[in-house]
Amino acid sequence: MKILIVDDEQDVEIMFLQKFRREIKSKLLEVEFAFSGQQALDYLGQSGSPDVVYVFSDINMPGMSGLELLENIKTKFPHIQVSMISAYGDKENYNKAIKSGAKGFFTKPVDFESLKNEIAELLTDK
Amino acid sequence: MILINIISLFLLNYLKKSSGAVEYPAVLNKYFKYGMIAAGILIGLGASDLPPQILYELLSFVLVGAIIYLILYTPELENQKTLAITPLPIVGVKLLEYLIETISPSIYDTLENYLDAASIFALIWAVTMWLNHRKQMKEIEIERIFLKEQERQLKATAQQKSELEMLVAERTSEILKQKEELQEALNHLQSTQEQLIQQEKLASLGQLTAGIAHEIKNPLNFVNNFSELSVDFLEEIGEEVRKMSDSPEKENIIELLQDVKSNLVKIRHHGSRADSIVRSMLMHSRGGTGTMDPTDLNALIREYANLAFHGMRANPNPINVEIQLELAENLPEIRLNAEDFSRVILNLVKNSFDAMRDKINELGDQYKAALKIKTKESKNQIVIEVEDNGPGVPDEIKDKLLMPFFTTKRGTEGTGLGLSITHDIIKSHEGKLDIESKVGEFTRFRITLPKVRVEKS
Repeated sequence: MKILIVDDEQDVEIMFLQKFRREIKSKLLEVEFAFSGQQALDYLGQSGSPDVVYVFSDINMPGMSGLELLENIKTKFPHIQVSMISAYGDKENYNKAIKSGAKGFFTKPVDFESLKNEIAELLTDK
Repeated sequence: MILINIISLFLLNYLKKSSGAVEYPAVLNKYFKYGMIAAGILIGLGASDLPPQILYELLSFVLVGAIIYLILYTPELENQKTLAITPLPIVGVKLLEYLIETISPSIYDTLENYLDAASIFALIWAVTMWLNHRKQMKEIEIERIFLKEQERQLKATAQQKSELEMLVAERTSEILKQKEELQEALNHLQSTQEQLIQQEKLASLGQLTAGIAHEIKNPLNFVNNFSELSVDFLEEIGEEVRKMSDSPEKENIIELLQDVKSNLVKIRHHGSRADSIVRSMLMHSRGGTGTMDPTDLNALIREYANLAFHGMRANPNPINVEIQLELAENLPEIRLNAEDFSRVILNLVKNSFDAMRDKINELGDQYKAALKIKTKESKNQIVIEVEDNGPGVPDEIKDKLLMPFFTTKRGTEGTGLGLSITHDIIKSHEGKLDIESKVGEFTRFRITLPKVRVEKS
């Protein structure tokens, strides 16, 4: 199963790779990274998106914001789940995200336990 | 002799009419009246040729003499003195004629021509004197009128002057009053301006703080996350190393791994400290969001005092505290931002717990920590008091208590933002926070909230 993490902070990649080291090692999980919304859309487009099932995206990014990305994904690839990760846990962003079809909303600093649970759910569902 | 009486009559009549503006006393007017009657009778008697003519003539002289005397010796007739001498020659000639005629008619006959001539001269004299007197009187009258007019003008001027003075005094006091009002308005404006500048500074400081906090938050998250991850990895490494066969190197590695792990734990600990400061700073500058809804203040206090208590019990270093709630019954609902205001209760209660913990550490079991929370209602206000019997606040730091980043807590315990945020929240509710304290006895935080606020759009 493949998930896509979108964040303009490049160290997020290392952090996720380390966090999900075991899952990745045991091939339960594949993690891809994009550092902007556009890059994420490009990636989803070229790979034909059959394998990416879940996108976690930051909201505040230069260029396309996470919320815009969310809308784009939901129109182009409605079967892909999307959750938002933001440093701003305010109601406005939350409501917008949920209204646009986000599955979940995580605030930074990310509670990796809840993120792991979310992904574990996906894994057992499959 | 009729002439003498006519003169008397004429004099009296003139005097009577001359009174004019200056009224003569009643007695004088009576004299004039009786004199005129007497003169009239004497004229009648003289004309009738009835005896004794000598007596009548004498009486005529007495009358005219009396009139002249009256003119000369009456203060009211001062101005008419020249009048007295006008008829004198005539009266004198006539008196001479009368005396000569009475004593020796023979001599009278010889002197008659001379006496007649003297009479004529006396008459001319009298007429001249009379005219002269008339002229004098007119001058006096004009002068009198002139003086009177002058006096009237003076009086009018004086009155005008006093009126003007009154007006000036009135205007002066008005201007002074206006000046005072203006001064007061100016002072008010100046203090408002100072407040505005202060607020503006604080607002921009708040924005700056928020900006800094946001910028710091992201790298800080990495520090925290990576240190946490590394601790996990070190544990895994440790497990793997323990599987190896024992050797001095293995011991050394395990020891070093322990040290690195404890360092990372420290990084994580201080990172989370920094994180809580950053979060408080964000909370500080956030302000103003959230809505004011009618809230049951007593319920909110019960809930959050309870929450603070259990939070404190669950954390390291719990203390035993007796909590007394003295909440006014039937407290009306008040418009609050419940989310913000709950922080006020949490902060104040937590603050008291921390203060009382210090006192427990110092005094031991003999001290019984107690916290009292009261609500009171007055006409326009609702008062909340949070009182502990902790160590109290010395006067010299009382003022600093509400300043951001001021803390009395040692080392890593406090951010110095709790009371500052509390104060901000109370201010945003248009309330007031007062601190009363006696060192060694109690500290009382009193929040005063207006019942009705002007709602800001």
